[in-house]
Amino acid sequence: MKGQIILALLATCLHLAAVDFNRDVRPILSDTCFKCHGPGETKGDLRLDKREAALDAGVLSPGNVAKSEFVARLKTKDPEDLMPPPKANKALTSEQIRTLETWIAEGAKYDDHWSFVSPRQEPKIEDLDHFIDRRLKTEGLNAQPDADRRTLIRRVTLDLTGLPPTPEEVEAFVNDTSPKAWEKVVDRLLASKHYGERMALAWMDAARYGDTSVMHADGPRDMWPWRNWVINAYNSNKPFDQFTVEQIAGDLIPDATVEQKLASGFNRNHATSDEGGAFAEELRVEYVADRVQTTANVWMGLTMECAQCHDHKYDPITQKEYFQFFAYFNNTTDPGMQTRNGNQAPLVEVPNKDRDGKLAQLKKDIAEAKNKIEAHRAKVSELPEFKAWLDKASNKAKSSGQSKQPENLAHWFPIDATLKEFRDGVTGSAVVAERGKFSVGNRENSKALKLDGRHSFKTDAPVNLEHNKPFTFSAWVKPNGKASGAIFSKMDDKASYRGFDFWTEGGRIGTHIVHKWGANALKVISADELPEGKWQHVVLTYDGSSKAAGVKIYINGKLSKNQVQADNLSETIVTSQPFRIGSRSTSSRWKGELDDLRIYHRALPQSEIAATAIGDPIENILATPANQRSKSDMKVLLARYLGGEDKTFKKLTDDHQKILKQEADLNKKPVTSMIMQDNPENKMRMTYVLDRGAYDSPKKDEVIKPGTPDALPEMPKDAPPNRLGLAKWLTNPNHPLTARVAVNRYWMMLFGEGLVRSVGDFGAQGTSPTHPELLDWLAVDFVESGWDVKRMIKQIVSSKTYRRSSRLESLHREKDAANELLARAPRFRLQGEFIRDQALAVSGLLTKEVGGAGVKPYQPANIWNEVSLNGGLRYRQDRGEKLYRRSMYTYWKRSSPMPNMLIFDAPSREKCVIQRQRTNTPLQALVTLNDPQFVEAGRVLAQRLIKSADSAPAKRIDLGYRLATSRPAEKREVEILTRLLNANLERFRKDPESAKKYLAAGESPRDESIDPAEHAAWMVVTQTILNLDETLTRN
Amino acid sequence: MNYFNPLTESRREFLLRSGNGLGAAALSTLLNPGLIGSASASEGGVYGGLPDLPHFPGKAKRVIYMFMAGGPSHIDLYDYKPIQRKLHGTELPDSVRQDQRLTGMSSGQNSFPCVAPMFEFGKFGEHQTWVNKDLLPHTSGIVDKITIMKSLHTEAVNHDPAITYINTGAQLQGKPSLGAWLSYGMGTMNENMPGYVVMISRGRGQLQALYDRLWGSGFLPAKHQGVKLRSAGEPVLYLKNPEGFNREARRGQLDSLKALNELNYDKFADPEIQARISQYELAYRMQAEVPGLMDIEGEPDKIKELYGPAVDKPGSFARNCLLARRMAEKGVRYIQLFHRGWDQHGSLPSKIRQQCEDIDQPAAALVNDLDQRGMLEDTLVVWGGEFGRTIYSQGKLTKDNYGRDHHGRCFSMWMAGAGVKRGFEYGKTDDHSYNIVENPVHIRDLNATILDRLGIDHRKLTFKFQGLDQRLTGVEEEAHVIKDILA
Repeated sequence: MKGQIILALLATCLHLAAVDFNRDVRPILSDTCFKCHGPGETKGDLRLDKREAALDAGVLSPGNVAKSEFVARLKTKDPEDLMPPPKANKALTSEQIRTLETWIAEGAKYDDHWSFVSPRQEPKIEDLDHFIDRRLKTEGLNAQPDADRRTLIRRVTLDLTGLPPTPEEVEAFVNDTSPKAWEKVVDRLLASKHYGERMALAWMDAARYGDTSVMHADGPRDMWPWRNWVINAYNSNKPFDQFTVEQIAGDLIPDATVEQKLASGFNRNHATSDEGGAFAEELRVEYVADRVQTTANVWMGLTMECAQCHDHKYDPITQKEYFQFFAYFNNTTDPGMQTRNGNQAPLVEVPNKDRDGKLAQLKKDIAEAKNKIEAHRAKVSELPEFKAWLDKASNKAKSSGQSKQPENLAHWFPIDATLKEFRDGVTGSAVVAERGKFSVGNRENSKALKLDGRHSFKTDAPVNLEHNKPFTFSAWVKPNGKASGAIFSKMDDKASYRGFDFWTEGGRIGTHIVHKWGANALKVISADELPEGKWQHVVLTYDGSSKAAGVKIYINGKLSKNQVQADNLSETIVTSQPFRIGSRSTSSRWKGELDDLRIYHRALPQSEIAATAIGDPIENILATPANQRSKSDMKVLLARYLGGEDKTFKKLTDDHQKILKQEADLNKKPVTSMIMQDNPENKMRMTYVLDRGAYDSPKKDEVIKPGTPDALPEMPKDAPPNRLGLAKWLTNPNHPLTARVAVNRYWMMLFGEGLVRSVGDFGAQGTSPTHPELLDWLAVDFVESGWDVKRMIKQIVSSKTYRRSSRLESLHREKDAANELLARAPRFRLQGEFIRDQALAVSGLLTKEVGGAGVKPYQPANIWNEVSLNGGLRYRQDRGEKLYRRSMYTYWKRSSPMPNMLIFDAPSREKCVIQRQRTNTPLQALVTLNDPQFVEAGRVLAQRLIKSADSAPAKRIDLGYRLATSRPAEKREVEILTRLLNANLERFRKDPESAKKYLAAGESPRDESIDPAEHAAWMVVTQTILNLDETLTRN
Repeated sequence: MNYFNPLTESRREFLLRSGNGLGAAALSTLLNPGLIGSASASEGGVYGGLPDLPHFPGKAKRVIYMFMAGGPSHIDLYDYKPIQRKLHGTELPDSVRQDQRLTGMSSGQNSFPCVAPMFEFGKFGEHQTWVNKDLLPHTSGIVDKITIMKSLHTEAVNHDPAITYINTGAQLQGKPSLGAWLSYGMGTMNENMPGYVVMISRGRGQLQALYDRLWGSGFLPAKHQGVKLRSAGEPVLYLKNPEGFNREARRGQLDSLKALNELNYDKFADPEIQARISQYELAYRMQAEVPGLMDIEGEPDKIKELYGPAVDKPGSFARNCLLARRMAEKGVRYIQLFHRGWDQHGSLPSKIRQQCEDIDQPAAALVNDLDQRGMLEDTLVVWGGEFGRTIYSQGKLTKDNYGRDHHGRCFSMWMAGAGVKRGFEYGKTDDHSYNIVENPVHIRDLNATILDRLGIDHRKLTFKFQGLDQRLTGVEEEAHVIKDILA
């Protein structure tokens, strides 16, 4: 039916001259004969895709229709003999038969399929209009004149940026009398950052971009850094050949940059699975097949996937050639079974300017916070508050009569106060949880810190010990089990364990003092074991001699014998790691309870050991008369004040900690993106033909090497036998498909349809180009320009053809309803993303930020959990600016994509899509009328109109039209909308509650100074303007 | 059906002749499949669809498909054999298993003990059909109205590929669903309703994921995708007018919008403008019609009782079954209910009981309700999931507990109405309910049969995409209508 009408139209309207094999005959043969008598199958030993074979079979008599059995079999009444057989459901029309007869009468000439022959440029032609005009002349159709300037600037701005022009941009163009006015507009748009977004959006469909993995759990992934790459590539006008090489084989480019590797993520966008019962190899083969299909389709317009199970039925691609192509993608390291939680290796850590910027700022903030702390510390001893506290505390302490405490206390973690206030009592530095949370234990009447082997706490207290300086550790411990672990440490596991720790091992206690573990370190462990499950007091002294003999260990005051396990220390133990409690930098997390940790900058003699087990060293100092206090004593008192009493200091250190945490969080989550990576040469995966395409039926008698189909040009001699070679082959200037397919896609973006209307199929089953010479002219031009994409786009939009009016005259309707001849400009509905972006833009809500991770704007409730695995996955809507970002950034969950875009024909992107459908449905009307996103845009646009300079309704309506349709409102339109306004004004004045409810749409604030009834009535007007056919249409 | 004759009339004339201004869009569809337009001309209450359909007079005007997502155990529900009592506890013989690939979830087991259902079965109906008496007390009462098919099979043994396969004809993503094909081919019988609606109920077992692609339009135009009818919030997404903006206000607004769009039509003469005006009017009518259908207040008590007490709970399978009948009455072409929770890898006895409590009575009620209204004559009802389950226990077999893994080699479904035999069993499996021994039915045969009931030759309902005449039943293997089950 469809075919009949098309053919009838072609034959009658277009007045075809002589039969052209590629244009007229091949489509018939391919669609009705090749399946059984073509490249894939030769039933009855007849093959009709090659002239020689057809003549050999004796069915064609060139020049003699009557003698050609071929024709007889098409016309016979005998259903046994009739071709195609009735059950094939491929009956030929009489016009088609007539075409075939004419073809035979004219000599049954064959031509190679046009798209497999390299394009040649018709000489001496200056511009593309020549080709369009030539055909119009032949067909006897007059072209429409230029569209008016307002239509034109709206058309080109939407086409090149996906956004409407502002009224100022429109007026500037309308009033620009320079002959370069149009060029200026085009150059401005091509330089806009939104150009890259618009181009990337089309590419995202082809590249099957998504924010989730598709199959089974459809878990999240981060591929948006790849999307950023695409936007940047378009904006920086990366030549299409480089664009190609980097996306197909960026990882294989010698000394590939991070950006080039990132680009190769193109072929990691496909669907992956994590389903428990699945067969990993089956999945892996599916992934490779998807890459073959997508790559062949996007770059060559070939349906190569048809040759996975058998030779291609229509195009010259054998099954073996399919697997040669498959071999390029079959050697990757990513597994069949992939993750449902984030990115699956191989991946690359992405330089993130945003994060780097934030980190740099944080570094500054940290330094500033530290300076503030030090400045405060320096002046605190002079502050009256400190003196007042000291007097009061000293007076109180005098009566307590504590015994003498050792001097040179450097750090003291009493852990007695509430754990929230856990600080170094000497320096005042706070201790923060690095892993796990604070948990309280008990030691007699005092609180203790409880560790379960997963905890780690750290402090930026300046714990500075050195291999050649004496020190003492002291602590109350209650170990849980005999596992090894660090009570505390300042040690860098990743730098050969440089630093020190206070250590337990097999129920014994000791220390590592390390420059480089193994080569330059000291390790001493007590010979005595700690009694299990009991609180005990342990002390370790070190005399700064760098010798194991300089270490003494006391358990409950009793000197233990030592075991020396390393004794060759001679160099520094300083590390930038923080001091940690309960852990080393990454390992050795301790299990048990801890209390009263002390570090002295002195090796305490045995006589002073007992005192470290008891009391409060600070109370002791306070009890000492002021004139007898040492310098070290005063330091301790100051620290006590700072840590326990000084609110200013607490705020300063809290602020400092907060920034440190922000820095740690940022460092914790580096952004990655998935990339391609091949197995090393000695671990190459073999490729075999898979029988009937099945993953578990490899034909192992022959190893398949990477290669390209014979019907296409040879591989350049110097090309490596991998994806990089493939990419170079694709971008070889003589490749017949790459440039044609690319320019055809640009043409489609600008005209709604390609010159080859089957944009994704340049094979025998595809449609022939409407203007073959033009397609070739553009393709050659594209390659010769150095694959310059912006230049190509500019060339097309600069044409007369592009700038025509879209008005449909009756002659056009009759002769060229499908607008193949382009006597008029196409007029079509904007794609869903543009419709939403336009509403945001004209209301002023749009967030213009470019790039970044997916965002979650308004979505009706329960869309995700209704279908998600286990039913628990909730959509967490974003707030603020993220609600108003361009639609291309909407988080794309491929098993359940954003419904308001799906309704507007957005593909799910589970698979590569080259060309979107364009439908017109009632559900679309419901979206633009009722979706909160659009209702809110109406409200904000109404506010914009009300707040505009002129309060006359006609002026406001006019502004609305200028914003949404790029033209002034006409008198009749103003009348209609004024009536609508007044009717609603009356309605909302009578029913102010309704007005309030209506105005509540969306989360952006409303200007409360506007009368709600007036605002609501205008909102009806703006919603109407946003729903005009003209607003929704690219004209 | 109006046909456009390009030789004798202009598109404008054709538009006028076709009455509702929508014909031109259909024409542009025919001329130019890439630029799919809008709903097309109509006659006899059919809107849209292909001009050459139906290929022959169909028995069914509509289909209600109760899809049991997760893979219900055929062994524990319909494919019972008394000999399985004897096989209980014995090891699955290699001769039965052959080289069957097992999913990664049970392939590591070193023992595969067979399990007889731990339920009581009974023989029901004229042909003394075995049905689980414990779990399906209501369905066992309708065996004389349905055909039980015990020999369905599929190559897929994991949920995602299997559920995608049976619903779209391919294991991988990208193909249109059965309902989308129907909408594309047959159009809708009520313009004010979506032609293809989907309702989802939760179930109480392990919930495997569903995917939009199961009711998606694949490479067909998006207007053919299934529309979810939802129990909470708006029944159809974006259906409700904004708060504070009532229907009367909307009417006034749409009148203005129409007037403005007509001014624009005068300028550009693009028939798409007329089509857009019509879509807004359709949306307006849909806003009135759908909520009324969702409201079951007016249903007599005895009808509600038929579907069981859960019918009062929005979102339940029972409610969805009743709504399905109401949709069917209103001319919705294809109604698909998804009930989740059938994936019983462990604790099957208790979990399958919960599932059956939710679905048994409503499913039987739907058949009876349609029957008593005479609608079973032209409504095809289908019940089933994406695959069956293994005879052997996944995990440990105990005195009163077991689980079953996925099984694609055979499983059971049932159909009723639209000329499907009443009281019939089709296909046989072996003693282990593991392999088919008689009349295999591939899932593409099932789909071909569903199309056949609507008057569609599955070989002829095609759409050219990427060089191939794509069809629901695939382009590689031939599918066969199951003639034997048709009266």
